Amino acid sequence: MRRWASLFAVLALTCRATDRGAAAGPAHRIVSLAPSITELLFALGAGGQVVGRTVYCLYPPAARAVPSVGDGLNPSVEAVAARHPDLVVLYRSPQTEMAARQLEALGIRTMMLRHDRLEDVARTAQRLGRATGHAATGDSIARTIDSLLAPPIPVPAVRIAYVVWDAPPIVIGGGSFLDELAARAGAANVFHDLSTPSATVAIETIASRDPDWIAIVRDSAGAPPPAWAARREWRTIRAVREGRFLVLPADLFGQPSPRAPEAVALMRQLLSR
Amino acid sequence: MKWLGLILALLAATLAAIVLGPASVPAGELLHSPIFWELRLPRALLGLLVGGSLGVAGASLQSLVRNPLADPFLLGLSGGAGLGAVSAIALHLGGAWTLPLAAFAGALLALGLVFRLGLVAGSVLDPRVLLLGGVAVGAFCGAVTTAIVTLAEASELRNAFLWLWGGLSGASWQTVTLMAVYVPLPLVVLLAAARPLDLLTLGEEPARHLGADVLATRRRVYLAASLLTAAAVAVTGVIGFVGLIVPHLGRALFGGRHRVLLPASFLAGGILLVLADTLARTAVAPRELPVGIVTALVGVPLFVLLLRRWTAD
Repeated sequence: MRRWASLFAVLALTCRATDRGAAAGPAHRIVSLAPSITELLFALGAGGQVVGRTVYCLYPPAARAVPSVGDGLNPSVEAVAARHPDLVVLYRSPQTEMAARQLEALGIRTMMLRHDRLEDVARTAQRLGRATGHAATGDSIARTIDSLLAPPIPVPAVRIAYVVWDAPPIVIGGGSFLDELAARAGAANVFHDLSTPSATVAIETIASRDPDWIAIVRDSAGAPPPAWAARREWRTIRAVREGRFLVLPADLFGQPSPRAPEAVALMRQLLSR
Repeated sequence: MKWLGLILALLAATLAAIVLGPASVPAGELLHSPIFWELRLPRALLGLLVGGSLGVAGASLQSLVRNPLADPFLLGLSGGAGLGAVSAIALHLGGAWTLPLAAFAGALLALGLVFRLGLVAGSVLDPRVLLLGGVAVGAFCGAVTTAIVTLAEASELRNAFLWLWGGLSGASWQTVTLMAVYVPLPLVVLLAAARPLDLLTLGEEPARHLGADVLATRRRVYLAASLLTAAAVAVTGVIGFVGLIVPHLGRALFGGRHRVLLPASFLAGGILLVLADTLARTAVAPRELPVGIVTALVGVPLFVLLLRRWTAD
């Protein structure tokens, strides 16, 4: 069992990120097919080299000026190729594998990344930094993230549950960067034991795990509690009854981001109210 | 004796649904717990009402179109409901009841289209026309839904699909009251049509000779069964297999006479859905499975057993 686990771990590490095509100097025309990658490219100072993004890439605001090529998980190869990129960065999934192969057949270099956890942000920043000619900034971002992750996780002072959808109720599990952000901010995710990024659960399960706060990700930080909070079945949860909602802004908490330290600080501040 | 068994099964399923759950509530405190009053009890009652509605709708539609494969969702209603729900989200319509209302409106739209198709060129709601019309309208709605999901930018659309796959997680006293007020009318209409439905299973011509008003029966049964299904899909999304399997179980146990088959299908549908939901809530706790997956996992082996019995006969 253990042997298999380590074999899978090695495979997962080697498969985690791959570059295909000839690596000839920094890329000048980049198409990014994931919001978290677009944000990272702008943070690296490579925003001026980005010539295509997905419709979901809305942060930083400057990214909105870049032409959209549509969806990132099911990309239109033709729309991507029409931007004449010399590098296309894709989020690794079975669907994007096919698109990457087609792009390579057109002679376009691709980079497949799985960018789910905070440590991924550090490694991706370094790799993208080198690929775009911003290696120093990449290393600096990686150091910032590493120094956030280096100290031991603080002893949690409160317990929270992220509720991302109400019908059916979907919560964030231990496989998500949101779980890591909470841990670093001194809050334990009551669904940390679920290994997946998110999971469908019963309202009853949330009630029985009895979080002190319900964290929700909203477009703006000042948004009111969600409409479902007023419903009787949801009011079986103590935090909902007590109106303890942690409203987190989507631009900071919607994706694993180089601004993770900022997210952790904001969360700490909100929790200490 | 069979009825007693069915009622005991109903009680046992309901009891299991309110005693079992991911939260551990001591039996002595159950009656004072909000988990019992606000979550488990309304959920069990909604399961009975929705499962029962799907069972009866399936039994009546199978007789109406004289096809054992008919399912309440075969006639385009799930496609219509999906289109309604996805349109509401894409148009950013807010509010707690938006999704159910939009799904209900979509189902009614599909129902109206199929019904109108069933009457073209003097057709007397011919079963073949209804089935083909239902499949066509369902496919069309499905295509438009996919187009909206592809083109719209709302990330909530993914979750709308989850809702459409069905589940009782939205159960509340409001949805229970709504169904309890709504369901009896179509149920009574269907029960009143029990005798002409018996005749219709003999074929259109014999039914007419024996005094059945074929068009009126078909119209009433089609509309009542579809309205039951539309309400079910509005409160719980599309829950498959209940409406397909329960009528066959009912016929195997109680025979084909609708006066008996319809109430039996109501009880059996309720039992199956409540049991499936209890499994969905507890089998992989703390996670929850979509109940439609469990109805398929439980229902399909039962169905295979029935098929074996038929082919053996």
